[in-house]
Amino acid sequence: MNETCKDRDRIFEDGTPGEWAALEAHSANCPVCAEELRAWKLLSVAAQEMRDYTKSPAFWPRIESALAEEAVRKSQRTERWSWLSLFPRIPLGWQTAVAGAFVLVLTISAGWLYFHRPDHPEEHDKSLLKSAALENVERAEAVYVQAIDKLAEETKPQLENPVTPLLANYHEKLVVLDSAIADLRAQAGLNPSNAQLRHQLLAMYQEKQHTLEEVLEARKP
Amino acid sequence: MGTMGLALPWKARIASVPRQRETRVEPSEHFAGGPNPAVVNAITEDAALAAGCRAGNLQTYERLYSIHGARMRNLARNLLGNLVDAEDAVQETFLKVQRSIASFRGQSSFITWTYRILINTCYDARRSRLRKKEVANDDSGETERPEPRAPGAHPSLRMALERALATLTKHQRDVFLLYEVEGFRHAEIAGMLEITETASKNTLFQAKKNLRMVLEPPRSNTAGTR
Repeated sequence: MNETCKDRDRIFEDGTPGEWAALEAHSANCPVCAEELRAWKLLSVAAQEMRDYTKSPAFWPRIESALAEEAVRKSQRTERWSWLSLFPRIPLGWQTAVAGAFVLVLTISAGWLYFHRPDHPEEHDKSLLKSAALENVERAEAVYVQAIDKLAEETKPQLENPVTPLLANYHEKLVVLDSAIADLRAQAGLNPSNAQLRHQLLAMYQEKQHTLEEVLEARKP
Repeated sequence: MGTMGLALPWKARIASVPRQRETRVEPSEHFAGGPNPAVVNAITEDAALAAGCRAGNLQTYERLYSIHGARMRNLARNLLGNLVDAEDAVQETFLKVQRSIASFRGQSSFITWTYRILINTCYDARRSRLRKKEVANDDSGETERPEPRAPGAHPSLRMALERALATLTKHQRDVFLLYEVEGFRHAEIAGMLEITETASKNTLFQAKKNLRMVLEPPRSNTAGTR
């Protein structure tokens, strides 16, 4: 084999024994390759200096003790779960019977609970969701709304056929107020205990009441 | 570890003694004419160690230590820079082997698997140490110097090499340590670092080239070819 300087790096990286022998032979007549080969080998010599295999007598006992402790911990963990290992020893027929009995007991219990639930749950639900104070507020609100609706009925003829621009403006304002009241009622229906919504709704009704009163005033000659 | 079950060729099994250093090639990887008896023995030994450890036999762990303990300790010391951390890493490796031996399926050599655990444990220790340094806000700028060792034939050469190794990439340093210091073959290193054998050879070549540049800056008139 006739190696040249060009092959040197490739042989350093992945040369076969034959290629290494050829490079050694080539180096005998090539000072550059000889120097490169020497430096390459020197790295390996230096690397061996980093090998320190001196015995450490205290080290194995330390590892052995850690391994023994770990083994004890492992066996304790296994013991904790060992009761489960009894289960496979029971014959399959008995396992099936036990599982069936368990399902039967579960079904009977669930059935009993279903048929013995309270007679009128909706009443309990009501008492849970609504307090007496809230019911009072809703009752008063319903009466107040009825009164305003009566007032609106009285103003209806003027507002449907407004004869002055002022009445037309009142009509527009009442349409907007009705729309806002409808929105707030919808929100209050979703969240009956929200006092803020109740206050806003009351303010809207009061505004509607004042507007209707102004409409009635405007009717007077 | 993504490829814990990396299959290695039978000839890549790790021998109980480091590779002979007389030649820079790997003769065992080029032989022909049937299995080498030493390699067959290594495979038998490997299987026996795996079986004993799986059975929880402490004597087998002791045998594993007697064969590979010194090499594991030296590798950990070179990876971590000090003996205290190295011994902790080796002990942790033995515990990890004991805990996870049930999951070892024998797709790679048991010893390759053990060294892979050791290397990963050293990586973890290194990361943990870096985090601790960050927490302590240790920005003194000093790089950690390896502890003094037993004097060798060329202490100055070794010290220069240790300093030069610090300039390499982590990967280059690891491959250099495994091949040149610990005497593993490229096939073994490939199994431990989960890279290809070709990548291991190439990384070693780059590592040695970089080390040469650090240790011996190239002279202007030596680049000639014939």
